[in-house]
Amino acid sequence: MEAQLTNLLRRPATAAVRSCGTCTSLVLPNRTSQQVRQKSTVNRHKRALGVPPHPSFLTSPSKPSSGHIIYNPPSSEPNVLHTPFKFLPKSDPRRKANLPALFASVAPPAEKTPLPPMLPFLPGPNKPKIHHLTPDDVSEIRRLRAEDPVTNSVGNLAKKFGCSHLFIQMCTHAPKEHQEAHKARLAAIRARWGPIRAKAREDRARRKQMLLRGEI
Amino acid sequence: MKRIRVPSQLLAARPRATPACPHRAQQLCLSQRRSQSTSSEAAFEEVEETDLDAAPIDPAELSPRYPPLDPLSKQSARYPSPLPSRSLSSAKLAALHARLYLSERVPLQTLGRALVDSTADHNPQFNNTNLAFLGHTLINYHVSEYLMVRYPRLPMTIMYSAIAAYAGPAALHQVARSWGIEAAAVPGGEVDPGLLQFNASEAPVVPTTFGSRRSEADYLEKYKWRRGINSRVIFDNDFGEVVNTKARESNNGTLQPYGTPETRETAETAYANAVRAIIGSVYAHCGREAVKSFIQAHILSRTLDLSSLFAFRTPTIELAKLCAREEFEKPVARLLSETGRKSRTPVFVVGIYSGKDKLGEGAGPSLDAARTKAAMNSLKAWYLYSPGEDVRVPSDMLVEDAPAWEPAHIDIGEVV
Repeated sequence: MEAQLTNLLRRPATAAVRSCGTCTSLVLPNRTSQQVRQKSTVNRHKRALGVPPHPSFLTSPSKPSSGHIIYNPPSSEPNVLHTPFKFLPKSDPRRKANLPALFASVAPPAEKTPLPPMLPFLPGPNKPKIHHLTPDDVSEIRRLRAEDPVTNSVGNLAKKFGCSHLFIQMCTHAPKEHQEAHKARLAAIRARWGPIRAKAREDRARRKQMLLRGEI
Repeated sequence: MKRIRVPSQLLAARPRATPACPHRAQQLCLSQRRSQSTSSEAAFEEVEETDLDAAPIDPAELSPRYPPLDPLSKQSARYPSPLPSRSLSSAKLAALHARLYLSERVPLQTLGRALVDSTADHNPQFNNTNLAFLGHTLINYHVSEYLMVRYPRLPMTIMYSAIAAYAGPAALHQVARSWGIEAAAVPGGEVDPGLLQFNASEAPVVPTTFGSRRSEADYLEKYKWRRGINSRVIFDNDFGEVVNTKARESNNGTLQPYGTPETRETAETAYANAVRAIIGSVYAHCGREAVKSFIQAHILSRTLDLSSLFAFRTPTIELAKLCAREEFEKPVARLLSETGRKSRTPVFVVGIYSGKDKLGEGAGPSLDAARTKAAMNSLKAWYLYSPGEDVRVPSDMLVEDAPAWEPAHIDIGEVV
């Protein structure tokens, strides 16, 4: 009990929150909750702000690291006005000159480094795109979707036929009533959003448009 | 040399004829009295005196104005724009002439006429309409030739925006402001000829060299109809904007309050037309080479970031179509580097590769955003291909002993 009391005195707010389940009639000590900065604490805070530099930025005279250059600030995006070699037209003098071949004798190209990894969610050599559906399958998808759009939802059909949601949506439209009911359901969900979530969704759409305009 | 409008001679031949519009008839009489002269000053003065004596003078106009702006104000206030002879004594006009480093061959009278917009003076012999038309054609020719040769792969929509960014009314308005051209509050014969004169209550007169009015023009605004790029090439003007010949409702000279969008548009067009007219007068008095270097110095030297004009809808699909068209390998997104994947602010750097060649790269806060940005950068790198900074334009061949022309690169067209 004594230990609990000292704890209360030291950290009143935390202790109050923690112990309010057990003791209901708690009287908080009459202290101002605002922290006051004194002369004695200034040095401590200043020292805490003085973050040492990252070790990669440090160069010691005893161990000169001539093997690499530190870019600080780091390199920026390549300029779009620099046309890749592949995009140069056949008539361009830069392509005709074939600069890499000219410099090959002076500075031979580095050893073949493997290409960077592909993005995980995209089809690649490990996960190739398969085109296994036939026109008959597509007409079957359409029939099923028209029959019962609730049971044969886009997700269910994609699972059944082993294709993407997008492909199902490209193949078929739901009946008009189903679309309207779906829209109404979505509108009801949207109406339940509070201001924070609504603003977040709106901002997300706006960010997407800004990205496509190259503004971010 | 004195030139009199043909319609006024016709009016003189039929003295009994009743003019359909009294306002118009008064203008025509005025044009009989004024003369557009740059050479024979003595003859001009003489004509001025005799004509003014002969013409019936309204006593209200002869009453003293306060403050007396000019010794000539009693006479010149009767005209819609300053007399050409007064240009010689305008300090503002001489300063503008010197500031633009114009040749001695461009007379001050022409420079003064270039500052009279057609909304201020309806008489085409005394306003800048014809000079502005000439300058508009010259500026657009040089700008579009430069963009065609320098950036041969620009899509048509970007081309339109780029031409408008160099030669459009907003850009030329800025040019005029940077030249120090100031506007008179109200146009009139008594104001300083060195001030730009336009009537803000009238509809702007835009020189249109190309395009025609669409039959569905009235519905475009109303129903927000889409204009395809093919129809824009055929029907629309040099900047890909709808040619709308329907005049704005003019409220008969009553001044509108300043700062409405309409008055702002009129002012912007008047400033732009003044720049065009000055360039047209440089061409008329000094020739082709002088106007080319003038446009180079004042219009084409302005900086425009072409890469900021692009907006894409589905950049990854467009890039895949481009690679298929050009028979490159399929574009593949690869993760070049990343930091802070599990943090609040991660950064992914994604590169787009076609085979072993990198086409572009982009950084973003998510893998998908970075991939989109990389695809956009690749497409921009394709569209913004340039044969070089010192590439020659067709008008370079007009000088004597020009070296033989090497054909410029013409692209097969944008990715559809």
